[in-house]
Amino acid sequence: MSYTKKEILETIRMTELEHFDVRTVTMGINLLDCGHEDPVEVGRRVSEKLTRLASKLPSTVEEIAERIGIRVANKRLAITPVALISTRPTPDAYVTIARAVDRAAEEMGFDFVGGYSALVHAGMTKADEALISSIPETLSSTERLCSSVNAGSSRTGLNMDAILKVVHAIKETAYRTRDRGSIGCAKFVVFANAVEDNPFMAGAFHGTGLEECVVHVGVSGPGVVCQAIKRAGTCDLRELSSVVKSTSFKLMRVGELVGRDVAEKLDVPFGVVDLSLAPTPELGDSVGEVLEAMGLQRTGACGTTAALALLTDAMKKGGVMGASQVGGLSGAFIPVSEDANMITAVREGALSLEKMEAMTSVCSVGLDMVAVPGDTPESTLAGFIADELAIGVINHKTTAVRVIPAYGAGVGDTVSFGGLLGEAPVMELKNLSCEKFVGRGGRIPPPITSLKN
Amino acid sequence: MKRDALVTAVTEIILKHVPEEREDSSLESMVADLVRFIEPLTADSSAEPTGRRLVITAIGRDQVGIIHAFSGILAERNVDILDVNQTILRGNFAMMMIVDPAASNVSFQELKEAMKSRAEELGVKVYVQYEDLMRAVSRI
Repeated sequence: MSYTKKEILETIRMTELEHFDVRTVTMGINLLDCGHEDPVEVGRRVSEKLTRLASKLPSTVEEIAERIGIRVANKRLAITPVALISTRPTPDAYVTIARAVDRAAEEMGFDFVGGYSALVHAGMTKADEALISSIPETLSSTERLCSSVNAGSSRTGLNMDAILKVVHAIKETAYRTRDRGSIGCAKFVVFANAVEDNPFMAGAFHGTGLEECVVHVGVSGPGVVCQAIKRAGTCDLRELSSVVKSTSFKLMRVGELVGRDVAEKLDVPFGVVDLSLAPTPELGDSVGEVLEAMGLQRTGACGTTAALALLTDAMKKGGVMGASQVGGLSGAFIPVSEDANMITAVREGALSLEKMEAMTSVCSVGLDMVAVPGDTPESTLAGFIADELAIGVINHKTTAVRVIPAYGAGVGDTVSFGGLLGEAPVMELKNLSCEKFVGRGGRIPPPITSLKN
Repeated sequence: MKRDALVTAVTEIILKHVPEEREDSSLESMVADLVRFIEPLTADSSAEPTGRRLVITAIGRDQVGIIHAFSGILAERNVDILDVNQTILRGNFAMMMIVDPAASNVSFQELKEAMKSRAEELGVKVYVQYEDLMRAVSRI
């Protein structure tokens, strides 16, 4: 049994020309058993456990990647939401733990660890409040920690009290990292319906329903999808969907292969493959470009939401056949700063936050890597976040916001983060107050559609 | 060997030698003990993956002797060439080989290094990888 010339060259083309790589191999680790009254002891236990379970991951992944001929862009860690680790519930306790995690990750060669998180979709415990208060300190004084807060769910509604605490933390983080473009905010996400097995940063955490240790794979490949669409020429929408489906199947198969091999080699359970079209600032690696290849003059034109709906759905359908277990977010990401094409669209005035909000109702996640003016009031940010989370809560999907109120910057400025995080043009938010609305506090009740029993 | 197949095989062997008047329950425990003993001995130990072939792809400027150059390296290292194919790809030469390294005297890394050095001398790009990726993408 051999392979045809076409099959071999197609695979080489995907990996060498179309920027296809496995975006991340993420190990999720349970830290619930590291609790102790003294956070320094927690830090020690966490460090020991992370090192024991994860130290071989980077080299194992490299070895497997080398043998099968695929690049793995990142190796990452996801941990139990830190607010759930039992300890003295004060902000500095959690910062202590964060520092221990950061050090351990640095020694092992991981660039990001997700899970400095709290799940507060119905209410906040003392621990949750303390952790949220500590976010600015942690994100400005550590390199690798990524943080998230789940502030809404279709089952419990939208926790406005949590959102109000979160926006305060976001603005404080922006201020504390103001000398680096408020980059701290690029490591924080607020969710509705957060998933427990997302391998991508900044929203990854190791959910409490999962096992001790697990390996997930995140695959992407907007470049591959884009080229496949271009090759398909002027086909109708059904055929276009088919092209995306079969491409997505192939991408997913690679994720399955890598995940299975890594898990087997490390003798750890294999979790999920998350196929999310996630762009990078590199040329030819853009989701915006995919939308344009589908026939839009520019991302943001009329038809964008429909095109994205087709794309996200076709990705899921093709992906489902390709992997033994599909999970995470699986769909399309639209992070502004990480997509050369989206940045252009914003600069030209083609893409606004309002249009992006509409797009999030049909794509995987939400308003990602959007920079807004540094002087945006907390109440406006709260309304901004509440809008996005409401879309998720009512429609039983995951939505999220990763917003950067860039300190000292206004509309028209560009904030630069460097590397994978790219650069973002500061976008306009309406200068109208919602303070009286969000200031009421409390919780927006869950939709009646959640009463499914 | 799969467990079910092992249980069946052991049972048959015992029945061949043991008189039929024996009680069923002792037969069961005999089979169970034997299977428990034998199973770990037949477990696969996966150090180097065996039975996997390599796909070698070379792309570059068309010139005399490319296939000869690479097949020479493979022959020196006792790597069995199973299939060779070539095509012209937008003015460039593309060579594809499927090879079996099972009888080879060198490691995957060494083979890859040797191929890469030769490729550099010839001014072509070479990719050496296990067939897993191609199989994953092209076969259900």
